[in-house]
Amino acid sequence: MVELSEVFETYEMVSHENLDVRTITMGISLLDCIDPDLDRLCGKIYDKIVSRARNLVSVGDEIGLEYGVPVINKRVSVTPVALVGGAACRSPEDFVRIAETLDAAAKEIGVNFIGGYSALVQKGMTPADRNLIESIPKALSVTERVCSSISLGSTRTGINMDAVRLMGDIVVRTAEETRDRDSIGCAKLVVFCNPPDDNPFMAGAFHGVTETDCVINVGVSGPGVVREALTKVRGESFEVLCETIKRTAFKVTRVGQLFAKEASKRLDVPFGIVDLSLAPTPAVGDSIADIICEMGMEYAGAPGTTAALAILNDQVKKGGVMASSYVGGLSGAFIPVTEDRSMAEAAEIGALTLEKLEAMTCVCSVGLDMIAIPGHVPATTIAGIIADEMAIGMVNQKTTAVRIIPVIGKDVGDRVQFGGLLGDAGIMPVNGYGCADFVNRGGRIPAPIHSFKN
Amino acid sequence: MNRTVVTLVGKDHVGIIAAVCNFFAENNINILDIKQTTVQEYINMILIVDTTGFDKGFDKLAEGLDQVGKSVGCIIKAQHEEIFDMMHRI
Repeated sequence: MVELSEVFETYEMVSHENLDVRTITMGISLLDCIDPDLDRLCGKIYDKIVSRARNLVSVGDEIGLEYGVPVINKRVSVTPVALVGGAACRSPEDFVRIAETLDAAAKEIGVNFIGGYSALVQKGMTPADRNLIESIPKALSVTERVCSSISLGSTRTGINMDAVRLMGDIVVRTAEETRDRDSIGCAKLVVFCNPPDDNPFMAGAFHGVTETDCVINVGVSGPGVVREALTKVRGESFEVLCETIKRTAFKVTRVGQLFAKEASKRLDVPFGIVDLSLAPTPAVGDSIADIICEMGMEYAGAPGTTAALAILNDQVKKGGVMASSYVGGLSGAFIPVTEDRSMAEAAEIGALTLEKLEAMTCVCSVGLDMIAIPGHVPATTIAGIIADEMAIGMVNQKTTAVRIIPVIGKDVGDRVQFGGLLGDAGIMPVNGYGCADFVNRGGRIPAPIHSFKN
Repeated sequence: MNRTVVTLVGKDHVGIIAAVCNFFAENNINILDIKQTTVQEYINMILIVDTTGFDKGFDKLAEGLDQVGKSVGCIIKAQHEEIFDMMHRI
């Protein structure tokens, strides 16, 4: 029998602490759509996505209504398009046709983002990979819902520095193509080291080649719930702090597990994983930075922030793993800047710098995320920022990523407003000293040694 | 049995429980348990109900309770019981 206190705890979490299921993402393999004829390929891709995901949005809403916890996003991820389009696409323009097909399919089924406009080039690039990468600026400017991710490095293969250098240019060109909208194209473009095959979160979601034909992955959230729980243990020891986060993460993840099983049953699609990430939104209180402040920092970015984030990340995993039968994806705390109101505020007053964010990415789930920088930052510097982040992931055997937005025509002191879940923030300063001679060397950074760890 | 937890929060006054119970009676929904606390002038109530005899779908149940809630100035929400078991039991 449920207790009154339990019912009202759940009620409070949903009503006042922004508890939600952040995303139900259907992964769809497009490998069986491969065709040397571009028209036929696009037709097959559209038909498969629409037929498999036709009921995704209605089922997500239905489950949300019946269990009283909203499902914020319903999304689709597909096989990396460079693999699917290689036989049919001879030029970047051909790949843009596939992007438009994905966008049309996403609109038809009503999902707000579709991920998988991707290439896995951590060791080398095929002509198809290069064409896809070259097509990204155009593809992201002519489509609304397509998200692109590129894998540039891994612990086993090292870092493809040719691709890192190229992505520096692509990020700038994508920003220029969407300059009339605060360079929003870059908000849909992320580069990875060690990307997971089953990540349900955008912009980095793609359906890995080791996955089954169609799968349901769920991303939970709940920074507001964790923060509220921590307000009750102010001044207590680290033991109490950790236990509180762990217990809260357990409850939040159980909601994700329940929703994943229900969605899987109702859509007749296998359940893949629950991603345990704490994902903030610009809503008041739904913030990772607020949790860091609740743990004892004056602002996110103050000394101690990295340790606090390490605790948060680890305890979320410890609580979440117990709550779900299959855990995967990125699973940790996200630290986007524009999408987290308090993180953006800390950056604007100078408490949080790019360098501190880089340090924080060593202990949390993703990387430099949703950071608006001046539009005049050279492509080589962006490549340098990417290389640094890839190195952290490679050496530490973890996923790292960069989603950075050079806002064309704006500089430090200006603001960007993306709206919705993407939020808004001030432009952050970037170290002005150059690294062009380093990133222009060409070639690969070898994989690190896996022994003699210290 | 199809167990649903109905949560009611609002300012206490005469007729709230009557209105909710009438709605359930009219819709062939059996009340299994009621628990309630009142803090100052505010009422917090949960009802466990069996909706097996209600065949109009969950959206109609939520809609109906929402209307009853508006008529008595309370917020009334329905959720499948399973979510509480999942969140609060290992």
